[in-house]
Amino acid sequence: MPLRSYAYDWIAWVVLLAIPLIVLWQNTTSLEEQGVAGGGPMTDAAMYPGLIAWILVVLSGVNGVRILAGRVAGPSPIRTGPTTMLAIGTVLLFVVYLLALRPLGYHLTTPVLLAVLLRAFGLSFWTALLGGVAVSLTVAAVFEGLLNVVLPVGMFSLTVFG
Amino acid sequence: MFDLILQGAPLLFTMQTMLLIAAGIVGGLVIGVLPGLGPLMGIVLLLPVAFHLPPIPAMGMLIAVYIGGSAGGSISAILLRIPGTPLAAATLFDGYPMAQKGRSQDAIGLSITASALGGLIGGVMLVFFSPMLAAFALRFGPPEYAAMALLGLTTIIVVSEGSAIKGLLTGGLGLLIATIGTDEFTNAYRYTFGNFNLTSGPNIVAVVVGLFAISEFLFQIGGGGFLDTPRLQKLVISFRALRLIASHKVNLVRSALIGTGLGAIPGAGGDVSAFVSYAVARKFSKPEDGYGEGAEGGVVATEAANNGCCGGALIPSLSLGIPGDASTAVLLAALFLLGFFPGPELFRSNADVAGGIFLAYLTGNVILLILGIVLVPFFGTVLKLKKAWLLPIVLLLSTMGTYALQNSVFDLYVMLVFGGLGFLLRRAGYPLAPIIIGIILGPVLENNFRRSLLLSRDGPMIFVERPISATILTVVAIMLCYIVYTLVRSGRQDTAS
Repeated sequence: MPLRSYAYDWIAWVVLLAIPLIVLWQNTTSLEEQGVAGGGPMTDAAMYPGLIAWILVVLSGVNGVRILAGRVAGPSPIRTGPTTMLAIGTVLLFVVYLLALRPLGYHLTTPVLLAVLLRAFGLSFWTALLGGVAVSLTVAAVFEGLLNVVLPVGMFSLTVFG
Repeated sequence: MFDLILQGAPLLFTMQTMLLIAAGIVGGLVIGVLPGLGPLMGIVLLLPVAFHLPPIPAMGMLIAVYIGGSAGGSISAILLRIPGTPLAAATLFDGYPMAQKGRSQDAIGLSITASALGGLIGGVMLVFFSPMLAAFALRFGPPEYAAMALLGLTTIIVVSEGSAIKGLLTGGLGLLIATIGTDEFTNAYRYTFGNFNLTSGPNIVAVVVGLFAISEFLFQIGGGGFLDTPRLQKLVISFRALRLIASHKVNLVRSALIGTGLGAIPGAGGDVSAFVSYAVARKFSKPEDGYGEGAEGGVVATEAANNGCCGGALIPSLSLGIPGDASTAVLLAALFLLGFFPGPELFRSNADVAGGIFLAYLTGNVILLILGIVLVPFFGTVLKLKKAWLLPIVLLLSTMGTYALQNSVFDLYVMLVFGGLGFLLRRAGYPLAPIIIGIILGPVLENNFRRSLLLSRDGPMIFVERPISATILTVVAIMLCYIVYTLVRSGRQDTAS
């Protein structure tokens, strides 16, 4: 079975196996240290998640055999297309946005995020720039103005509708 | 039953609630019209907004989005041959041929009218059966609740898209995610890795928004076509459908009842009920009706069923706390966030809220009938909205909505992580709905499982010694046997081929 043909299946398999294994590891370390990994149903906080984790480990084993035998609905290769780089770039841009959100605040970061996205999706420079500012202000008006939410103000303590 | 309605009426009939229901219907229709999005996405995006509102206006708005979103998908199915939601897939069979014959106005009018009337029939069933089921559930103790939670999860896994083993894995993942945070019995921190932000578990809104909205955002980028706009026939406001539907009375009622019945089975969902009711309507039709070639009855059957299904799905959700589908799971999450616990206690201690929710559902369908027809030309404009605008708006609403719940940037990282997980799992063909159902039902299952063991003198035997829990667990066991059977059978077929 070529690994590449079922790439997404295998990655998902690793993730879905790793999670119950982490739970079982935590049961024998963190929960054991807290003294809640044994005893009766009132005191044993590890029993129920441990039970679910073991079931998932067994199911993952069965699923692994199915993927190996090619008994899944269809191949799941990682295909790169013209929009793949755009998708990766968008995720990276969003991570940068999240990192900048607290220090710089909503009103400095959001118009930039939106303008870059709109431009990347094919709109003209000025449409993207003005659209980014307009959408950002409209959403801020809803959250700050109508719902009284304090959006991240950043180091400059910027609010528009608050 | 009528007591509930009377108690709920003062909460519902306020200007704020009525406006929010109307806004929810319009928002739901818009999001349903847009291919790729659907009622679940609408509820997810407005969940953080609902958190800032009083309970009935909040639930009214979300339920209205559920109703509108379920109905809206038919418009793009009829006009573009692209169902806005999977619920409207069966509407293609006759809706699109009707449009091809120059009757798109009639097809849309019939679909909206059938949706609203089907929803009202589902609503009557909801009002009638929910209190009965809740009253029966008063006999339940911890073993029965644990068994019911397991049944809800298993049913959804059996009927969800993709293979059952993948559904079991994602359902189990949801159960594990629900254990993150402080253990209710021991106050110990479980799987928090010393992170203070996780002591109450991951924010469910961040998880839901990530799994559904962010993963959909990534999928849509992959699809390209950011500047595409479809060509559409000119649409005008017309109430002709109200007259046309009079000749489909039996079909309408039958389909709505099928939808409600199937909707009440956790996991069956609107798409299944639409296909089943279409098949039944076709079976009862005459050859000259021309099913598959633009028959009015085909549109009526599918749309009455998938909106009747909404009322059906709310029955186990409100009376037992067992969600009927992913959308009702998120509605239950909203109810939890607003401080109410679905199940018999809701009907006993917060009868006004239960009554208000019933009325909100019924009112939403009446408003759908009016606004759905009046706004038809507007939906044509919505369909022309470019993805280049839509995607950044969805991303920003998801982000700020999630942030607004707890003013927490950490929740945004949770959202992003679950967005990546959702994208990966969808790519590999895993259903996502069982994760949400698992997160909702996880605490119910664990708490009642542990309480049952505490009550028991014979350990786990308590689950089979009590007749109701034994019966429910027998049904679960039959379903699990069915899963194993299908796995073995599919394996043999593969080997033979």
